[in-house]
Amino acid sequence: MTESVSVRVQALQKSFWDESRGEVRAVDGIDFECHQGEVFGLLGANGAGKTTTLRMLATILKPTGGRASLNGHDVLTEPESVRRSLGFYSASTALYPRLTGRETLEFFARINRFPGDRVTQRVGTLIERFGIAEYADARVEKLSSGMKQKISIARTIVHDPPVLIFDEPTVGLDVMAALEMQRVIRELRDEGKCIIFSTHIMSEAEKLCDRIAIIHQGRILALGTLEEHRQATGQHYLEDIFVHEVMAAEGSA
Amino acid sequence: MDWRDIWILYRRELRSALRERAIVVNSILMPLFLYPVMLWVMLTALVFVTGLSERTSSRLVILDVPSAHVVLMDTLQARTSLEIREDVISADSAATLIRVGELDAVVEFLPPEADARGMDDNFQVLIRYDRAVNRSRRARDRVESIVAGYRRRWVEREASALDISDANQQQFRILQDNVSSGQDMGALLMGVMIPLFLVLMVALGCLVPSIDSTAGERERSTWETLMTVSASRLSVVTAKYLYVATLGILAGVLNVAAMFVSLGAIVGPLLVDIGDGADAFQFSLPLLALPVMIVAAIALALFFAAAMMILAAFARTFKDGQAMVTPVYWLAILPIVLGQQTDQTLTPTIAAIPVANAARMIRDAINGVFIWPLIAETLAVLLVMVAACLLLARAVLQFEDLLMGSFDGSFWRFAKERLMGKRATEGTK
Repeated sequence: MTESVSVRVQALQKSFWDESRGEVRAVDGIDFECHQGEVFGLLGANGAGKTTTLRMLATILKPTGGRASLNGHDVLTEPESVRRSLGFYSASTALYPRLTGRETLEFFARINRFPGDRVTQRVGTLIERFGIAEYADARVEKLSSGMKQKISIARTIVHDPPVLIFDEPTVGLDVMAALEMQRVIRELRDEGKCIIFSTHIMSEAEKLCDRIAIIHQGRILALGTLEEHRQATGQHYLEDIFVHEVMAAEGSA
Repeated sequence: MDWRDIWILYRRELRSALRERAIVVNSILMPLFLYPVMLWVMLTALVFVTGLSERTSSRLVILDVPSAHVVLMDTLQARTSLEIREDVISADSAATLIRVGELDAVVEFLPPEADARGMDDNFQVLIRYDRAVNRSRRARDRVESIVAGYRRRWVEREASALDISDANQQQFRILQDNVSSGQDMGALLMGVMIPLFLVLMVALGCLVPSIDSTAGERERSTWETLMTVSASRLSVVTAKYLYVATLGILAGVLNVAAMFVSLGAIVGPLLVDIGDGADAFQFSLPLLALPVMIVAAIALALFFAAAMMILAAFARTFKDGQAMVTPVYWLAILPIVLGQQTDQTLTPTIAAIPVANAARMIRDAINGVFIWPLIAETLAVLLVMVAACLLLARAVLQFEDLLMGSFDGSFWRFAKERLMGKRATEGTK
């Protein structure tokens, strides 16, 4: 793992207005950094603030406080540059059903400013890499969910971004597809990508993440390697570590 | 805003759209074929129904024919379209039969009014019929035309016997001379149909794409994917707007072309069959009418695209979008239908009414009337409306919950709460 910082988050906040609850702090001043060649895990229950954090990093949402930068670009002042440096994958980033896989990859490469003269070659390489040649020219709407998943991952990395965000990428996938996803994420880390990976599945975080931040009610309760978490809590399994941190936070609240 | 990005996004929108059956049907096939086919079906049906009506005989009773006018009776009996019953002998029983539908009309000869008895054998004819029944009305028309013709010839004969010339017996005549050419008649028909269909088709052309590119994206979960591309939000929205307007223009232009061809090739020949005089209609357009219609289609498409997209932006599903946007389509019809009721050309007041102004501008252009200052006013009004819609869209898209589709409500609720109300900044938090 190199020490080059690709993502820096400082005191990041996000408040929403909810009709019944009034102002809600979905993210409440979080700090972390993520480096090249690292898988950084955001581990939290549903509603902990993971997706909101990642959406702010992807400039889909605007922070209401704090700062964040990707690859040196500020999310508030340089949103287009941030998105160019980023591949964003989540359960809610679907593909255009009426485009073919190849057209999808070409579109996302071009719109994310991948050099025009290399788009065809890049798309061909990814089609080969993910084994989607057989159905690359079929419309996405005709494909199975496994095939779509492969095209989605290829779509996320087609412009060769240095930072990748995977927001609960295995939600709804069967075991084999989830394992395939984990394999791809490892490969991408080995290629030097900075990967932020959010999940509520402990085993996934344990297997994939170099460092893990436990997030609860919009705050990071603990951050470190699995070994550091074990030492800090005296627990061995991540599930126990998670419960320990959450209970401690709620006890002190 | 980056035009390279807009072009890439625009091409993607268009490529997807042209593979979507609903869009191809609404924006291309319907404008091209629906109304010409509909016109053909309607007119063919009219020809068929007219033919059927002509073949149906009218059931009559004729009472008290004066002996001097038996020739008229012979004329009536000779007509195959008339079936004269002789089993009814009184006006009252005949009237009863008309009411129950067993008879269509009764023709009763009456003596002349007291001051009209100077001429021997003068007479009046009373035709009883049921105005609420088509067949009875047709019987009246048939009898009236035969009796009127007979009476005119009889009066001429009697006058001639009294040495009164034709000119003297009709000092006061009503003469008609239609000065309109076949081209004018064609322009009249086109002026009624083309503006109406052009506006409707432009609106229809924008309808499905405006929903598909906003609510449709949310429903398919591709909206968030799009929000992560490096293009600016403004580029994304501009590309979508231009795509919706393009399909509106395409629908309008295709429809005008189809209507123009079908009026000449379908409507003209069918008018001959109906008996409206084929020679009376010639379909041709002044050269300048074409660019005026295209400019009108562009201005209308820009307006409809902006208005419909603003409303559709509040929908989370395609179905919601249809419910929110369809009223715009129907609202577009109202000013045109009202505008069709007058022969007036474009005026400064009409030019200030969006949609109605464009319809009237097109109608004037078809009639060869080009009032350039008012055409300029029309286009300026439409462009001001477009600008207002775009400014509103820009204001609306500042609200994150709306952009992400988490706002739960319609445009009206949003306008009340956010644009005018006390919680104007809450959505951006």
